[in-house]
Amino acid sequence: MKRTLLAATAIGFSTGAALAQDQVTIRFWDNQQTESGLSEYQRAAVERFEAENPDINVEVTTIPYPEYQQRLLTAVQGGNAPDVSSLDQIWMGAFAEAGAVVPLDEMAAEANVSADAFFPGAWESAIYKDQLWGIPFNVDVWFFSFYNKALFEEAGIDPQSTVTWEGLRAAAEELTGDGRYGIGLFAHRGEDTVVVLNSFIFSNGGRVLNEEGSCALTEPQAVEALEYLASLAPYAPQGILNASSGSMRELFLNGSLAMEFWPALEQPTLKNSDLDWDFVVGHAPEGKTPVGAYGGWNLAIYESSPNKEAAWRFIQFMTREDVNGDVVDLIPANVAAAESFLEENRVGPDRIMEHLNNAKPRPLSPRYLEISDIQVTLAQDIYSGMDAAEAAEKACGAIDGLN
Amino acid sequence: MTKNDRWLVWLFLAPAVVLVAVLMYYPMLGTVIESFYSTSFINPDPKFVGLEVYRRIFSQQEFGQIVVNSLLWTMGVVLLQNVLGFFSALLLNQHLPGQGLMRALVLLPWVLPGVVAAIIWRFMYDPQLGLINSFLISLGVSDTGMAWLADTDTAMLSAIVAAVWKGFPFSTVVFLAALQNVDEEQVEAAIIDGAGPLRRLVDIVLPSIREVAMINLVLTTILTFNYFDMIWVLTRGGPQNATHIFPTKIYDLGFGQFRFGDAAVYGVFSILVLVLLIALYFAIQRSSRPRVARA
Repeated sequence: MKRTLLAATAIGFSTGAALAQDQVTIRFWDNQQTESGLSEYQRAAVERFEAENPDINVEVTTIPYPEYQQRLLTAVQGGNAPDVSSLDQIWMGAFAEAGAVVPLDEMAAEANVSADAFFPGAWESAIYKDQLWGIPFNVDVWFFSFYNKALFEEAGIDPQSTVTWEGLRAAAEELTGDGRYGIGLFAHRGEDTVVVLNSFIFSNGGRVLNEEGSCALTEPQAVEALEYLASLAPYAPQGILNASSGSMRELFLNGSLAMEFWPALEQPTLKNSDLDWDFVVGHAPEGKTPVGAYGGWNLAIYESSPNKEAAWRFIQFMTREDVNGDVVDLIPANVAAAESFLEENRVGPDRIMEHLNNAKPRPLSPRYLEISDIQVTLAQDIYSGMDAAEAAEKACGAIDGLN
Repeated sequence: MTKNDRWLVWLFLAPAVVLVAVLMYYPMLGTVIESFYSTSFINPDPKFVGLEVYRRIFSQQEFGQIVVNSLLWTMGVVLLQNVLGFFSALLLNQHLPGQGLMRALVLLPWVLPGVVAAIIWRFMYDPQLGLINSFLISLGVSDTGMAWLADTDTAMLSAIVAAVWKGFPFSTVVFLAALQNVDEEQVEAAIIDGAGPLRRLVDIVLPSIREVAMINLVLTTILTFNYFDMIWVLTRGGPQNATHIFPTKIYDLGFGQFRFGDAAVYGVFSILVLVLLIALYFAIQRSSRPRVARA
């Protein structure tokens, strides 16, 4: 009996010691784009994760969106990267090429984590050079066009007529005047400028890069889209070159702007206003389907992480159907989680789902940020009156010159 | 000073020297070295390319535009800020009633954080909702107002005006301190001799504050050349690069596009300009010392 007790005590001590020894702490970084209380929800989810995985502690750091890129870059360069973080879809190529994050193909295959559970464009955004570098965490699509119902009713315009380019231009013209504007355009130096530009290009069957990675903005579909966008400028508030989607919000909320492009993420802000609003799902030429530009974030594991296995378990947990919807402020990338999230939190869930399934990611290039900068200049050129074909030629010269 | 004293001096200086060396000179040297390598985030193994990156950047039209923008920005802000600062200092030195309150009020823009001041000005310049346009429209000067920050013709001037508003109290304080040290007896003697205000200003006040004015000019030039937040918040260097200056371009290249090598070249050029300005500052300071000693 004594021997048994001793043995049991010894096992107890050794298990305790082993537990203490195997206990790991992983650092998780994410960014917050709205005042949605995201960090609190994430902390609650982390407690759940820690209860399910008693050998893992998670330190959550939530960083405001404008500072996130700089903080992450500095951390990676300084050798102080977190174990796991969300990464903007447009950074995936660069982080993979830099060797900052690790491929997840093997871990995903072993755990049966596959594309089926996620939106196709979101999964595609994590693949670079045929390897998987992240698991889709959250998504959204630019190109939901929110409209002020009262202004449309007053002008006698059917909002659905704006889903075609011709209808949108006619409505914008009709709605402009007396201190009001038909459509909000923006071309400041920011990614919102690029996603709207790309959505119009994609909706006309155009693309930014071709299969070889060369610039495709001089293709007729892209140039037509640029010409079309420039033709909307007379119906937009002045100051397009320094305007952002954020600066258009005030005008929309005070009733002087009839229609504006935002992702579905804008809905909570609009719900808090007194405005009577709804949205249409993008715009395309007659006979074509509107295609939005994907936005969103993937979860990635850093090369420098000493706890990759624990980080992987955390990623699986955060992208699980029953968790994903509780830890994002965009739309969950897990399709099943997105369905219930949209049903509960967004107006027009079916329309949003359809648009998410149609959307296309931006170019998956390690030099995406430079391409994006060139596209901002392209947008500023066309809104300043430069011929669209000439502006596209100039942009392609710059993009192809990067290589 | 004994040998022991000398050691003690170095001991006291050591923390400051180490901090400056580690936090300033080491990164500065690193920037210079990095500028000779082809390096970016996606190229973590830098390749030595000598002056290749310099050659590429100097041949770009954009570099010339940023040099011109930086010159316009720095000269515009420094000139206007110091002229405005000097005349406000003259006014505040007139022993007028409520002078204490006035001095405190003048300082307000300067004590505001740069980002806050920039956001206030961005709202004021807003084409649709801004105060400036609504004022111009109410005066009948304009029908629709202007897109101050979105027009390549007005963006730089608008940014300069905002920076001058933010910075002129600094010049005012420096000039005011200098004006209070002008020899009262000389001024009174000039008045007795029948010298008018303009004559007194040109022949007595300006020569008396010459060194301080020069130091003020050089200091504000250094601060303005390095001024980041005003332009970044107002325009992010746009529209069409019309307001991009060295600090905004360096930030944009390094953190916006992950192009560390290119950012380093702009950084080195920026360091060279600043070293020249700092040398000028010390030269002026040194030349002013004997006069101070005589006084």
